[in-house]
Amino acid sequence: MLRRLLTFAGILLFTTPLFAQTADDIIAKFVKTVGGMEKIKAVTTLRRVGKYSRAGGFEAKITQENKRPDKVRQDFMLQGMDGITAWDGKTGWKIEPWDGKKDPEPLGEEELKSIIEDSDLDGPLVNYRQKGNKVEYVGMEPVEGTDAYKLKVTLASGDTRYYYMDTDYYVPIKIESTLIIRGAERTYESSLGDYKEVAGWYLPFSIEVNTKGSPNRQKYTYERIEANVPIAEERFKKPSLPTNDGKPMAPDAADKQPEQQQKKEEKKPPVAALQHVASQEEVRGSVR
Amino acid sequence: MINMMTTRTAVVAASLTCLLALPSVAQPQPPPASTSAAVRVDSDTISGLGSRNIGSAAMSGRIAAIDAVHEGDRLTLFIGSASGGLWKSVNGGTTYRSIFDKQPVMSIGAVTIDPTNPKTIWVGSGETWTRNSVSVGNGVYRSQDGGDNWANVGLQGSERIAKIVVNPTDSKTVYACATGPLWSDSDQRGVYKTTDGGTTWVKVLAGANGSSGCSMLAMDSQNPGTLFAGMWDFRRKGWTFRSGGEGAGAPSGSGLFKTTDGGATWKALDSKNAGGLPARPWGRVAVTIAPSKPSVVYALIEAEPPANGLYRSDDGGNTWQLRDRSQGMVWRPFYFANLIVDPRNEEKIYKGGGSLIASNDGGKSFSDITGGGHGDYHAVWIDPKDTDRLIAGDDGGLWYSYDGGNRWWKADNLPVSQFYHVSVDMERPYRVYGGLQDNSSWVGDSQYPGGITNSRWENMYGGDGFWMFPDPTDPDYLYAEAQGGEIGRVNRKTHETRGLKPLPGYNEGKLRFNWNTPIHVSPKGTVYLGAQFLFRSSDHGQTWDRISPDLTTNDPTKQRQEQSGGITVDNSAAEMHTTIYAICESPKNSSVLWVGTDDGNLQLSRDAGKSWTNVVANIAGLPKNAWVSSIDAGHFDEGTAYATFDLHTFGDMKPFAYRTSDFGKSWIPVVGQGGPVRGYAHVIKEDLVNRDLLFLGTEFGLWISLDGGKQWAQYKGNDLPSVAVRDLAIHPRDHDLVIATHGRGIWIVDDITPLRALTTEALNKEVLFVDSKPTVQRITASGGWVNGDAQFVGANPTSDAVITYYQKKRHIFGDLKIEVLDSDGKVIGTIPSGKRRGLNRVQWSMRVGPPRVPTAASADFSANRGPRVPPGTYTVRMTKDKSVYTTALQVISDPRSKHTAGDRKAQFDLAMKLYRQLGEMSFAVDRINNVRLALDDRASKVPADDPLVARLRNASAQVDELRRKIVATKEGGMITGEERLREYLTALYSDVLQYDGQPSHTQVERSEALGRELGDVVKDFDSWTSKQLASINTSLASKKLPLIEPLTKEQWEKPIEN
Repeated sequence: MLRRLLTFAGILLFTTPLFAQTADDIIAKFVKTVGGMEKIKAVTTLRRVGKYSRAGGFEAKITQENKRPDKVRQDFMLQGMDGITAWDGKTGWKIEPWDGKKDPEPLGEEELKSIIEDSDLDGPLVNYRQKGNKVEYVGMEPVEGTDAYKLKVTLASGDTRYYYMDTDYYVPIKIESTLIIRGAERTYESSLGDYKEVAGWYLPFSIEVNTKGSPNRQKYTYERIEANVPIAEERFKKPSLPTNDGKPMAPDAADKQPEQQQKKEEKKPPVAALQHVASQEEVRGSVR
Repeated sequence: MINMMTTRTAVVAASLTCLLALPSVAQPQPPPASTSAAVRVDSDTISGLGSRNIGSAAMSGRIAAIDAVHEGDRLTLFIGSASGGLWKSVNGGTTYRSIFDKQPVMSIGAVTIDPTNPKTIWVGSGETWTRNSVSVGNGVYRSQDGGDNWANVGLQGSERIAKIVVNPTDSKTVYACATGPLWSDSDQRGVYKTTDGGTTWVKVLAGANGSSGCSMLAMDSQNPGTLFAGMWDFRRKGWTFRSGGEGAGAPSGSGLFKTTDGGATWKALDSKNAGGLPARPWGRVAVTIAPSKPSVVYALIEAEPPANGLYRSDDGGNTWQLRDRSQGMVWRPFYFANLIVDPRNEEKIYKGGGSLIASNDGGKSFSDITGGGHGDYHAVWIDPKDTDRLIAGDDGGLWYSYDGGNRWWKADNLPVSQFYHVSVDMERPYRVYGGLQDNSSWVGDSQYPGGITNSRWENMYGGDGFWMFPDPTDPDYLYAEAQGGEIGRVNRKTHETRGLKPLPGYNEGKLRFNWNTPIHVSPKGTVYLGAQFLFRSSDHGQTWDRISPDLTTNDPTKQRQEQSGGITVDNSAAEMHTTIYAICESPKNSSVLWVGTDDGNLQLSRDAGKSWTNVVANIAGLPKNAWVSSIDAGHFDEGTAYATFDLHTFGDMKPFAYRTSDFGKSWIPVVGQGGPVRGYAHVIKEDLVNRDLLFLGTEFGLWISLDGGKQWAQYKGNDLPSVAVRDLAIHPRDHDLVIATHGRGIWIVDDITPLRALTTEALNKEVLFVDSKPTVQRITASGGWVNGDAQFVGANPTSDAVITYYQKKRHIFGDLKIEVLDSDGKVIGTIPSGKRRGLNRVQWSMRVGPPRVPTAASADFSANRGPRVPPGTYTVRMTKDKSVYTTALQVISDPRSKHTAGDRKAQFDLAMKLYRQLGEMSFAVDRINNVRLALDDRASKVPADDPLVARLRNASAQVDELRRKIVATKEGGMITGEERLREYLTALYSDVLQYDGQPSHTQVERSEALGRELGDVVKDFDSWTSKQLASINTSLASKKLPLIEPLTKEQWEKPIEN
């Protein structure tokens, strides 16, 4: 399949004049290259499983589960604890168990924006008009030595993303995301790679994210991505509040048999959860 | 629209090439690269070798222009730096982002926010505060998205722009005040107008001659067809500067002009038709209109004293009155000619200068309001909503006042420092030394626990700073200098300073020291200093030997600095000429000395200064009198040397660099014309190990050649912009490249070893591991403290191991996996791989994966990493699709560390023991939980009235008691203070991990005690299961419920199915 794909892309390379690009051309080629609309449409759920790591040897297991039309759940696992951020299409919630508080909490503005964006199973480019996104081709701009088409994507939320599409294969190799949080901009860069086939659809298995200008990269490496696995609706639903005996209804990793542990990963960082983890670590570090 | 932008960009690129490729004497070209080795070597081949900016923002640097706007209740700022690009803050200055870094120039002359659309930003590139060291621009830029994306929209040849004004009722009508080239005649100057948002420009006001351009422009915001323009006749040469005509009373093209029809016609205002204006000739002219009352116009006119000063008109320019002409008003008008009127009060006016001065009486008198600021003010912004709120830019950075200028806050987050030179010492970690434009000479740390904050830089001298060196013979001392050869030797602890400048003898006349006087310190501590003669001292400056005759052209026509300045004499040593500018002693033979002068001589002595030969005539094609900007004597043989030449003071911005291999008898160019290198050359350095590896700093960035100068590529690692690279140092021990930028502080490329390995053969490989220096396991340490968001903090090198590889193409599809193996071939780490084309750097933490930590009420992040592996040789294995590559990774201990290998082993062994204990503990807790949850599960499946339910619940409670001995279980997100075995063990574990040396007896004993205590609980659980579980299982079996079996180690160790 890969060979077929490369051949196909090679033909595109030699037959398409570089100067006559439009956003629609590029997106159409992207969709074709990664497997075609039929293959994408045929995927109703995705479960990504992998590892989060950053400098200094910090690691965690991560999963992300997506279910059409717009449900997503991201889990960040550490020491048998399960940090969750989820969106069930209507409500966003999280559990940050790290200090022993295991009841669900509402998401902050930044987290909510991120999770809603992540609930788009096939990303903002595919069927972008139906999703209310606007896409504009703004020219060529190299990414780390590789020529790329730069697409300006204005999401339905009003936030802007820049997608840098490889000129040979038309897949995104970098995404620049500016989130407007409480009126202030935060810009993140994501580098995408290790595209591999999942049910006929090529998806990136490696994503590195950094705050723009920072050399510190957070890395997401998926060991596997599964398509069309059954994922129960309850996974996305906000759990009820703790019962009278004080026992939370949320999944408690301690109350799970190890064999049953199920974790999910995300394609983008659950930024707030990670910042929380990072700040915990740093605060403890400095107190020492 | 998009296509138009693209086309325009192409046009800009083409024009820029033209601009920089002014015709000059034809030069021989370097031999072309062999066609068989046609590997693309460009920016991206080499820039994966990242860099880091260590600042500092302590001294910051010159700010040339400011604009700001309230977006809602927030204040958005745009800060134009003299040579470090444009910076934006969306939070009133708490944080800044550099937003001009992808542009080919870094000098900002003007920045203007469209008054009707705050997302449209106009930038005039090229500063007009035309001091000797000023950078250059290339036209007008426009952004329509608040500064994220820029298009160069014209006037590419204007070199510098003083002001842009946008019609407040028509965003498409914009005027640019093009001051024009400083060093040469040009007609690309004057007032330009666009009525189509920048697509086309029309010159609406031309200068009177080839050296007169626009120095200031003001629009009547209530009547936008009315504008005033100051025109300025000026020229700088290497040895002189004039503001006005050729001499104090000579005719000048300077003037003051007014239009009332949007520039279609202009009236020249002078003493004849506008009563009260001074008689010509004039020098620099500034003009501004009071926003609150546009009939009030102020003009600063550099006229012949006593007519120079501030003029005011109350009738829209028809008649004028001379107001203030205090020292602060008339001092150095070429450098300070900006008037800012309070937007609400036409009587209140500010003017930059050596001090910032303010008037409350319509310009009759001024007070100094500099307060604690640096001095040399160029720009002021006044908040129209709160006119007590000021933002001012000077040679030392940016300042905020909230009380009308009485007191000032410094911006500590703008690392736009303007270094001239850099050197390093041999401390561990090494320190960085350098002097800056108007900001003294500083020593900074190349790394420090917690990051290189502004406080990790220390000022050691005064004045403008240039060359600075540690004294290699006495670590307590260093050499620094101020402008004009004011060299001193400084005790770095007490800061006691001894002035060492050589002085003239009897009736000798002047020793001519350049503004940026060269100092060279040999590894043995011999100090060289250049005037027109070369001085040498071997006793720390106690005595100077004059070891040369006058090595310059000694051209008397270039020695008239006392007349320099034009209308206003300005003889600051900045124009001192016919001086020595570059000195280099051969590292191979200390008798071989090279000297270059600012007037075009390249002198060689092979006998330690007894005799000298001027070899510059041997350089075919080099224009005469080219400034020798640097010399680097070869590191491999004494006959080799490199030299850069700078002709920008003649208006030629091209790079010139040459190499000789025969003591200067013949030279070949190492920078070909028509190649990618842009900008006049400041410095060239030959690598210390690979003689084909060359580094070239120009006004527009850092360029690297892997093949002795045949091909060059701009280095852009970690987004190093096209900023002037004035000097470079290669650390001889650590192999770092230290980059002195004039506008963005110091940058470091950690470990350039991989560049040395990029031979043609290597570049042709699809994938290749590239050698790096051995990885040092840096001492684990923390430092610094919380600084808020408004502080610059320079990055440290990573504390991880760095693995470098090269890829011919970007990796997009399939696996690219990198693993680290120990000496037994066991995989001990997996590293996310870099995908980029060219050099990639990836990091390995050198740690075993995190231990399994028992689940408890809260997470323990300090235990979420494994012990650091001991020093030794590891194997790195890369799998790219089906190909496998390996390399060795040397890990060594920190040379500063006093721990023996035995100490380290003891630490690692104890850490691993605790690591295993955490695993055992996790197993124990999981076993207990497994049984506990199974008991609860069975209880839920038995009818509620069955006595077995109570029995099962009771058993569950019993085993949970055991669990609670191991882990804290109180939940709820509070500080419960609950500590159990897990909390004790993780605390011990992270303490042991933190210190690489021998663990204390207490720690060893504690590990044993905790091990036994855990063993006790496990024993209790085993005893409970053997006593209770069999009979419970019998009951379960009778009800056909599944039996309960404790987890076995094998089951537990099975990888968790995610």
